[in-house]
Amino acid sequence: MKTSIFKTLLTGVLCTLISMPLLAQEDELKDLEGFIDFGDLSAAYGEPSISINIGGTLLQFVGLMSGESNPETAEMMAQLKGVRVFGYPIDDDPSVARQKFSEVKSNLKSKGWEPVVQVNEDDEQVLIYMKMSGSAMEGMTVMTVDDEEVMFINIIGKLDPRKLGDMMDNFDVDIDGALELD
Amino acid sequence: MNRNDEKREQQINALLDGELGEADTDELKSAAGDDRELARKIVEAYQLQQLMDDIGVEPAPASLTKRLNAIPRQHKPAAKFSLLQPRWVMALAAVPLAIIAVSLMQPDTPSASEVARARQDLAVAFAYLDKAGQFTSREINSTVGNTMSDAVAGSVIRNMKSQYKNSKEKEA
Repeated sequence: MKTSIFKTLLTGVLCTLISMPLLAQEDELKDLEGFIDFGDLSAAYGEPSISINIGGTLLQFVGLMSGESNPETAEMMAQLKGVRVFGYPIDDDPSVARQKFSEVKSNLKSKGWEPVVQVNEDDEQVLIYMKMSGSAMEGMTVMTVDDEEVMFINIIGKLDPRKLGDMMDNFDVDIDGALELD
Repeated sequence: MNRNDEKREQQINALLDGELGEADTDELKSAAGDDRELARKIVEAYQLQQLMDDIGVEPAPASLTKRLNAIPRQHKPAAKFSLLQPRWVMALAAVPLAIIAVSLMQPDTPSASEVARARQDLAVAFAYLDKAGQFTSREINSTVGNTMSDAVAGSVIRNMKSQYKNSKEKEA
């Protein structure tokens, strides 16, 4: 009887241990100061048109690969802890997205994020918030919505805006198919 | 049994055990010479002792020994540390499983294709950031004009730069 209970407990502990990596990966970014939960708009807009969730491990490797050719980019990548992008096609119905904007804005304010830019036009809205911890940047959140798409971007860690263009050039990636820039 | 009988019995036991003193031994022998009943008791006691000494100890059957050993003692002796005890065997068997589980918790080394995909995703993410920045600048420009736009947009950028610079200086 005792052996049976011990085996059951041992099995339970091992199952928990084995499932922990998956949970740990999912929660890797959630515990960071710069993380913001955007919720899920799938119920209103269907599957996201873009969903990017890059954690610290991948960012480190991308930085290492850029290290020889561009040390500045590698240094900048080392400051990043996570990059998340979620976009949904809204089909001329931005009401749910704008409601989500309000919810996220309240969440950002309650967590001490500072508004950097807010543009409120009839056909387009852009919100940029930054999270500071003392004088250290913990994250940046950008939300945009127009008649076609709602976009949530969450940069966790430090990002130098001056080097954004350089970093994009360094990647040398064809993104025309994924994004139409105005 | 009166007091005298008790005394004689104690003397006989002491005599058989070799613990009776010389004076008491002589006194007991003298009394036995006069008392046939006492003499008979002494002889019978000797004979009984001789019989007891002649009886050998028969070894118990193995089955009985096994059963007796299986009976739990009222007070268990303190368990000796032994790696062969079942609980230690199970614990030792769990060690490699725990090591495997912990190793699974460590972040996997991404493959080259995963890193390449991450680079592309990052480029897309930063392109969206850039797009938001362009739109913001354009809106500021159209709202407040070129001159003020530079001032306002410059202020925003300066603010972001300043915060980033402060964080860098703090780290240094």
